[in-house]
Amino acid sequence: MAFIEVENLNKQFIIRKKREKGQLMRPKEEISALREVSFQVNQGELVGYIGPNGAGKSTTVKILSGILTPDSGCVSVDGLVPWADRKAHVRRIGVVFGQRSQLWWDVPIADSFALLKEIYHVPEAAYQARMGELTEALQLGDLMRTPLRLLSLGQRMRAELCGSLLHSPSLLFLDEPTIGLDAVSKLTLREFLQWENRQRGTTILLTTHDMEDITALCSRVMVLGHGRKLYDGELTDLLARYDTERIITARYEEEISGTAWPEGCQIRRNGENWIITYAPKKIPTAEMMARMQQAGHLRECTVQPQNVDRLIARMYQEMEL
Amino acid sequence: MDTLRLYRKSMAMLLKSQMQYPASFLMQTLAQLVMESGELMAVILLVDRFDHLNQWTAGNLYFFFGLMSMTFYLTECFARGITGAFSGMVRSGQLDTLLLRPRGVLTQVLCSAVDPRRITCIAVGTFSFGLGSRLSGVAWTVEKALIILESIVCGFWLIMGLFMIEAILCIHSVKSIELANALTYGGRSACEYPIDTFPRPLRMLFTVIAPFALVMHVPAAWVLGKPLFGWPGWTAAVTPMAGIILFGVMYLLFQRAMRFYRSTGS
Repeated sequence: MAFIEVENLNKQFIIRKKREKGQLMRPKEEISALREVSFQVNQGELVGYIGPNGAGKSTTVKILSGILTPDSGCVSVDGLVPWADRKAHVRRIGVVFGQRSQLWWDVPIADSFALLKEIYHVPEAAYQARMGELTEALQLGDLMRTPLRLLSLGQRMRAELCGSLLHSPSLLFLDEPTIGLDAVSKLTLREFLQWENRQRGTTILLTTHDMEDITALCSRVMVLGHGRKLYDGELTDLLARYDTERIITARYEEEISGTAWPEGCQIRRNGENWIITYAPKKIPTAEMMARMQQAGHLRECTVQPQNVDRLIARMYQEMEL
Repeated sequence: MDTLRLYRKSMAMLLKSQMQYPASFLMQTLAQLVMESGELMAVILLVDRFDHLNQWTAGNLYFFFGLMSMTFYLTECFARGITGAFSGMVRSGQLDTLLLRPRGVLTQVLCSAVDPRRITCIAVGTFSFGLGSRLSGVAWTVEKALIILESIVCGFWLIMGLFMIEAILCIHSVKSIELANALTYGGRSACEYPIDTFPRPLRMLFTVIAPFALVMHVPAAWVLGKPLFGWPGWTAAVTPMAGIILFGVMYLLFQRAMRFYRSTGS
């Protein structure tokens, strides 16, 4: 049996709308947050969970972590049903919500950690060893005596990670962990997650809108839209379906004009740069290059793939999300 | 034991975090003193004007006031998580984080807040209680002290149970705090005076539904040597248990409600 087993998961929310004039009751609207979602995750996997806002990502995480009870369907995480065996289950998982703090606001983070140790019954020796490991990997040493409210967003996220990992969970859920972080903080965070995954074999499931997170961390992605699972597999395979265009940026020695560009490609000019978007399937790159050389003395040129965010946007569009 | 240890450690940490803002703490504590002294002043003025209320002398009334005041504010101080912070935790989704930890939800709610500012209210209550006991000429015995202690402990659970009504409604995402307030704050204000001064409907309300009378007035009246309704002495030891029963019922309803909890978006 796989580490995480999810079968035919359904969850509906009933939203009560505002009462209009002349209506006796407030009208109800049922929203299906999840419809027949099934998947399996093996121990030690690093899985990305993507989809537009409101697709049901957070709902899945909440069900898997035991906060919510689904309407129907089976879930087993390491042999336990999250909502039925809540206490035994949460002892073995760690959860980080990017927008919700789990530490105490006004006290030094070291005190928060000490209290978490108490809550999770972590033995002293194990606690010391784990803290040493985490403070070094997350570079928290100098911040231990600082209250949470005085930390920057990046520092706070590192502290949150430390807090949710100090009981050494075998499964870690991350809900938009890099939201609002600067480039350096993002990189440190990703490096840390890879380290934790390799070092301890921690299974990690992360939801994000940042495609860099996915490309850097996850070999496997699941795409969710309108509560349905739309794709499950390697990111590269998913992107290959939509990755049909290349972008050339070119500069010429002299001013060029009146060039006959092939049909079906888009041309834009940005100062000295010519930016050409074309589909290699329709116009082979060799032909494109030949045309460009005819146009004048090419000083430099780069060929780039389409931006991942664009690809995802296109995917969402085509899936009508 | 383990839960108590966690509670103690949480309290220590919360106090530390409150002391991060000493000036604000001091001001609010003083404000509480003024507020509660005002309440006591109402009793003093009443006594000054009427000398006694039914069979109850001035001293008796201070005694009742003091017992209620001590019990209510002890609860507000140590069970702040339930009496004040809970609804906010549901609305903000902070309750989610509690569900992610291997401890009972109610335990963690209790561990999540403390209100040391109430210390002045408790002091006013203690003062009034002592004054009432002296003016009424109570001859203290071990039994009497134990009965009062029982009344305070059961009162603590009773008040917590009543505040849980609000918590339960809140989980079902119904915002009818006013209804719950009628029983909690309303009950406090009314039951500062002995129950037999009230008309029948109110008497029923505070005996059957929110049994302040059973938990506080029956034992207090016995200690004062004027048993309520002429009930026999042993009732003073038994009726306060109503508070624990009420808490038990609310606890079960709370657990049931948690199964309906639906979290908030993130």
